[in-house]
Amino acid sequence: MSTSPSDPATGVAALYFDGRSARAHAVTLNVSDGVLHVESDDVSRCEPLGALRVSEPMGDAARLISFADGAHLEVRDHAALAHLLAATGHRDAAVVRWAFEPRMVVIMLSALLLSVWLIMQYGLPWAARATAPLVPDSAMTALSERTLEWLDQALTRPTTLPSARQQALRQTLSSVASIEGQPIPHTLLFRSGGQLGANAFALPDGTLIVTDELVALAGADAPVLAVLTHELGHVHERHGVRMLLQGSATALFMAWYLGDVSSLLAGAPAALVQAGYSRDMEREADDFAVKLLRARGQSAELLAGMLEKLAAAHGEGQASRSGPMGWLSSHPDTAERIARLRDKDFIIH
Amino acid sequence: MDNPFEHATADAAGGNPFAAVAPALQREPITFSGRGGEYFGIWIVNLALTLLTLGIYSAWAKVRRLQYFYRHTTLGGSAFDYHGDPRAILKGRVIGFMLLLAYNVSFQFSIIAGIVVAVALAAVMPVLLMRSLRFRARYSSWRGLRFGFDGGTGGAYSVFLKWPIFSVLTLYLLGPMWHQRMKAYQFNHARFGSAHFTIDAPVGAYYRIYGAAIAVVLLGMATIGALLAALADGSPAVFGLAPLLFILLLLFVQPYLSARLQNLVWNHMQLGSHRFESAVSARRLYLIMLTNLIGVVVTLGLFLPFATIRLARYRLQSVTMLCAGPLDDFIAGQAQDAAATGEEAADLFDVDIAL
Ligand SMILES: [Zn+2]
Repeated sequence: MSTSPSDPATGVAALYFDGRSARAHAVTLNVSDGVLHVESDDVSRCEPLGALRVSEPMGDAARLISFADGAHLEVRDHAALAHLLAATGHRDAAVVRWAFEPRMVVIMLSALLLSVWLIMQYGLPWAARATAPLVPDSAMTALSERTLEWLDQALTRPTTLPSARQQALRQTLSSVASIEGQPIPHTLLFRSGGQLGANAFALPDGTLIVTDELVALAGADAPVLAVLTHELGHVHERHGVRMLLQGSATALFMAWYLGDVSSLLAGAPAALVQAGYSRDMEREADDFAVKLLRARGQSAELLAGMLEKLAAAHGEGQASRSGPMGWLSSHPDTAERIARLRDKDFIIH
Repeated sequence: MDNPFEHATADAAGGNPFAAVAPALQREPITFSGRGGEYFGIWIVNLALTLLTLGIYSAWAKVRRLQYFYRHTTLGGSAFDYHGDPRAILKGRVIGFMLLLAYNVSFQFSIIAGIVVAVALAAVMPVLLMRSLRFRARYSSWRGLRFGFDGGTGGAYSVFLKWPIFSVLTLYLLGPMWHQRMKAYQFNHARFGSAHFTIDAPVGAYYRIYGAAIAVVLLGMATIGALLAALADGSPAVFGLAPLLFILLLLFVQPYLSARLQNLVWNHMQLGSHRFESAVSARRLYLIMLTNLIGVVVTLGLFLPFATIRLARYRLQSVTMLCAGPLDDFIAGQAQDAAATGEEAADLFDVDIAL
């Protein structure tokens, strides 16, 4: 640009601006005894290095050396300036140097991907577990009501189960639904599952929905109860709210990360995350169910057997095709869970 | 080597007796030297440190990002610079985050609480936006002279509260007029050193631009409707495509709007007696934005820094300053300080008042 290449003998070429006018003065810079000398026909200034601030390097962009009084120097001869700075012992902040070193950029990129994975895997579930108890009951009720409305409208039909059978199941569930002497608030609803088939869900406010098909598949009351205790586990551990919190946090992060690209893309990962409970949550719910069953002197086999029947009913292969909220799409790794429930050493944590 | 200061000395010498009578406008293009590969490094380091510090580093990241763009933007051979203090920006972000939290949480408690917070926010936002304009201007400089913004509270309430309400009440019929008032507020109170910016873009021009955009959207919606109706033929599932097609339509119109509005604003702006010329082509901008979007989607976001640089380069290099006199003649105005709170809160609430 307007500065000529520096001559090492005469110093570094730069432009000097006094901070009061936009006029540029072509000057040369020299350092001696910790003092910067700025020289030209009409400018002569000496400043101790300690009173100066050097801007961060930004690739080819000019570097600025600022004086305390608002004046500054604009230097484009990077090689000569680097030489001068090295002589003064100046060192740029590590963070800025990294940004321009390919090796550090690769390391940073890997660190970034690793930390995103760690956060998704451990950080978010932990934060969701910590904050879930803070979600007010009114919010959970509102959320559950909306979900139930949507279910009734889109997927399920009114139940055809005799009311005596409904009443019997409700009563048995009430007698089981307590932990450490504290009853677990819940409401048991029956629906004809339609395309959902044999299925059961838990909504965050304690509403449990079981389909007629599941009751028929179970044959007796005890296996139905086993499934319901598992669903109570989801309620008690607030799994629904935790998934929602994790999904919202992911959506928020994606919206920030993608910025102005499109909020359309931001919705997708959230939807994926919300598609089902995590494997850990299923284990928690299984543990909870077994605890309740054993308290009544029943075995984990009830739940294991029921899981097997459900898996068979939905067909393992086309598991995820059994509807948007199908048992298997929201309950992954069924085989592994069955094996775990049947393990002789099954211990509740 | 081309010396941008040469013409200045020639003018000052007064060698040409006609120079004073009809000063030829000297064209000074804005140049941008940022490179995608280089900015990628800054972007990835910023992103990694922001994530590792749970967002705290984002204030420092913002300063570095702005510095990269400012210092690679040059006019008359000299770079712009940004001096914002990250600590002030961090403070602003915290305040902004709390306001956002209060807004989101209050509706959980009761409708009344929600309305109270919403009204309080509406009362505070104009002042925050005004301060954000002041902060951004105050900490931007060129050749050591600071920009400035002297817009008052009354004007802020007018363009950030009164006009939005008017335009909503009139179903956005007054929207273009609101945009004109906002740009007028933004630039008629802006300074560079002691020189004042002025803008005289007529409201009719805003209406023409928005009118054309809305006509394209309506035409597009009619076409989409007809197309889907023809395709559906008894299976209403096809209509599920409608929102996607509508978003594609908006993505199609957006480059046109942003190109025409940038040209309108800059072609009607003056700094002292200097003028500007902006020649963004809607078609070029459309191609850049479309390829950017494809690149970002295909690379899961890693193309984002390259996309940002491409867009910035095209938009900045489309602007030329038509200088009525030597650039050396600018002098400093009086100094004043501005807190960062406004700008950061505005960022967080995603109110885009840039350019
Ligand atoms: Zn489950």
